[in-house]
Amino acid sequence: MIRLLKKLKYPGRWSLFRSDDRLLLIVFAVIVGICSGLAALLLNRSLETMLAWLHHYRVYWWAIFLPAAGAALSSLFLEKIVNEGAGHGVPEVIYAVSRYGGLLRLRSGFSRLISSCLTIGSGGSAGPEAPVVMSGAAIGSNIAQAFSLNDRQRVALVGCGAAGAIAAIFNAPISGMVFAIEVILGEWSTMNIIPIAIAAVAGTEVSRLLKGNQIAFAHRIFDIHFHDILACVGLAVFCALASVLLTRALRAMHHLSKGVALPLWVRAAIGGSMVGAIGYLLPYVLGEGYHAIHKAIEGGFSGGLMLVTAIALLKILATSLTLGWGGSGGIFAPCLVIGAFVGLSFHRFMAAVWSSVIWVNEGCFALLGMAGLISGIMQAPLTGIFLVIEISGGYEVIVPLIVVSTISTTLCHYLEPASFYLKDLVEQGQLLRPGTDARVLTDLSIQELLETDCICVHPDMRLADFLDIVKTSHRNHFPVEDRKTRNFLGMIHLDDIRPYLFDPAMHNAVLTGQLMNRHVKSVSLHDDLSDVLKKMNDDHIFSMPVVSDNRFLGMISKATLLDQYRKELMVQTGRF
Amino acid sequence: MKLSMRTVAGALDLPVSTLDRWIRQGRIPIQRSGADAVFTHAALKKWAATHNLSFSLSGEKADDQAPEALDSLVSAMKRGKVYRRVFGADATAALRSAVDCIDFLAEDIRNELLEKLIERERLASTGIGKGIAIPHPRDPLSRPPEAPVITTCFLEPPVGFNAIDDRPVFVFFVLISPTLQHHLHLLSRLSFCIRDREFVAFLGRHPDALDLYSHVAGFEKQLDAL
Repeated sequence: MIRLLKKLKYPGRWSLFRSDDRLLLIVFAVIVGICSGLAALLLNRSLETMLAWLHHYRVYWWAIFLPAAGAALSSLFLEKIVNEGAGHGVPEVIYAVSRYGGLLRLRSGFSRLISSCLTIGSGGSAGPEAPVVMSGAAIGSNIAQAFSLNDRQRVALVGCGAAGAIAAIFNAPISGMVFAIEVILGEWSTMNIIPIAIAAVAGTEVSRLLKGNQIAFAHRIFDIHFHDILACVGLAVFCALASVLLTRALRAMHHLSKGVALPLWVRAAIGGSMVGAIGYLLPYVLGEGYHAIHKAIEGGFSGGLMLVTAIALLKILATSLTLGWGGSGGIFAPCLVIGAFVGLSFHRFMAAVWSSVIWVNEGCFALLGMAGLISGIMQAPLTGIFLVIEISGGYEVIVPLIVVSTISTTLCHYLEPASFYLKDLVEQGQLLRPGTDARVLTDLSIQELLETDCICVHPDMRLADFLDIVKTSHRNHFPVEDRKTRNFLGMIHLDDIRPYLFDPAMHNAVLTGQLMNRHVKSVSLHDDLSDVLKKMNDDHIFSMPVVSDNRFLGMISKATLLDQYRKELMVQTGRF
Repeated sequence: MKLSMRTVAGALDLPVSTLDRWIRQGRIPIQRSGADAVFTHAALKKWAATHNLSFSLSGEKADDQAPEALDSLVSAMKRGKVYRRVFGADATAALRSAVDCIDFLAEDIRNELLEKLIERERLASTGIGKGIAIPHPRDPLSRPPEAPVITTCFLEPPVGFNAIDDRPVFVFFVLISPTLQHHLHLLSRLSFCIRDREFVAFLGRHPDALDLYSHVAGFEKQLDAL
């Protein structure tokens, strides 16, 4: 029995997978895709039930406190029970992928599902997609850990989890696949694409089996003309502005809430009650908002230009209040809602200014606005394009879709160089995509670069004795350490003492202790390699002693670093 | 062929800790056997080639880059032999007579050697003083001997050689090496012997070959003991 369990723990040893691990990844991708698909459906069903249950109470004035209660409970659950941070979880997944080979905690597999269900179900303005991505990614990571897979395989399964989740929740396999590769992994390699594609298919099939093969936002056929495509440029500008506004509003609210000296759950409740108040006046801003998107795409949304613009702006405010003040959920669904209403506003504005022109139905602009927002805020144009194609089931919008997505991404990149998901990671220097300088320097450690072929000398040694040691060494640096305590005292560099080496009168008159540099700059074994390199560059030095606990451990030099750096880069960027 | 961690790390010129990390990160092809990683030579070689990394096992490396064994002074002297009563009216004639003694070299190489010796002397005399000169070509010969050679020629009478101390030279150590490394090694050993006054006096007596070899061997023993 124990033997069987052991065998199960190491699938890499099974003869089926021994020759090539691609087959192993494909099998696990199916499992992860199914599990993350089920998690996505579970959250979806829970949200539907909760929204239906609370729907009857929305008419009462005290309903404005429902989002507050939901956000407070969600915050308490995350903080006190599962001990996890608020937010949507996507940056955590990206961080885990780039820094820890995709290691995620088991509890992350369900924590965000519950917390986001509480936040969104009670009316908070957020989306269920990012929590589902976190959940799927954690499922993939924990399956990989249970079967002792290596980091590369684990990262692929984290991508599989994210792809399966997005594919299941939107019934959109390509979007799941593209999102996982473009946003989560940031690395297009066949080793990842194949299992991720399979997981996306598995997640979609789970969704279709249990929920039916529904297109999320079915619409009528659009008759798009050239002037509509031209108008898309203007729409892309508005989408980019809305994306930047949402990004900045979210961050501003987050900073504002941080400055309030109240417990996190109270802050979440404050944010939630403000959302509740907005929602009491304009119910469209509450929850995930898919109902509003349906109406917008169908082209039958009542209300004028002012109302749709107000909905877009208030949705931005509500989302930033929900997430910035401590609620739990993602920005996927809010982006779709804001995008749809930005599209509607733009269409109504165009129709008002150029009333003689026959414009395409406003539902088309709502779809394009959704792609523009998604592409802009995530700076992931492919995700925006494929998501809208798949959730609307229409291929005829592809040309304006590409125009809006690419222009919106470019403008957003210009205004906000890092996407919403990556902004914090970039600021903390923790975005470590494979093959980048930061990743190579993070992966390499000083221990791996240590040159241990230096000969230590003692401070009471005569120069003549030191010269005998110089003859046997091929290094220019000689660490000096105390004979008794072996504590590091300083360094002798041949360049510094060259004039005395050839003076026989000095050979018996000078001790090494008198020749050494006592104020030499050293690094410790656990220093960050990029800091070490900066020190070397600032001081124009090529090598430094590595000293830990006052003991000399070896030297670190730019030459060895370059050699190892190159190997690391070739291994990280080469195909397996 | 199964390889150990240490062997593979050596073959890739990496510390074992880097290899360990690459295994954990799944960057290097391995097979699992129990808790251990098993490397196969063919798979690793293929992987290293696709990643443009050099991979050579210590055995292969030893064949390619075996450090050259440096010869002893006595062996080089024995190969070059000792000649006494070598005559030359002037420096060039003395060099020609010395080169003529080196009969194991082909005629054309001997001519080349003479030209190179004269050319070297033109740059600066190899007469290092105390009546001793170490003529040698500046660059290796076009077809150098496989092992270094020192031909000892005792000149009778001594000839003027523009030596450093202007004393006439009574002995040539003609040094021909296949590589610069051999050349420097033997030159350093020869200098060590010549620093000894008694040895110079001993050379002044134009000793026979066996006597010379035993003296030099004594010096080499001292050098090896250092």
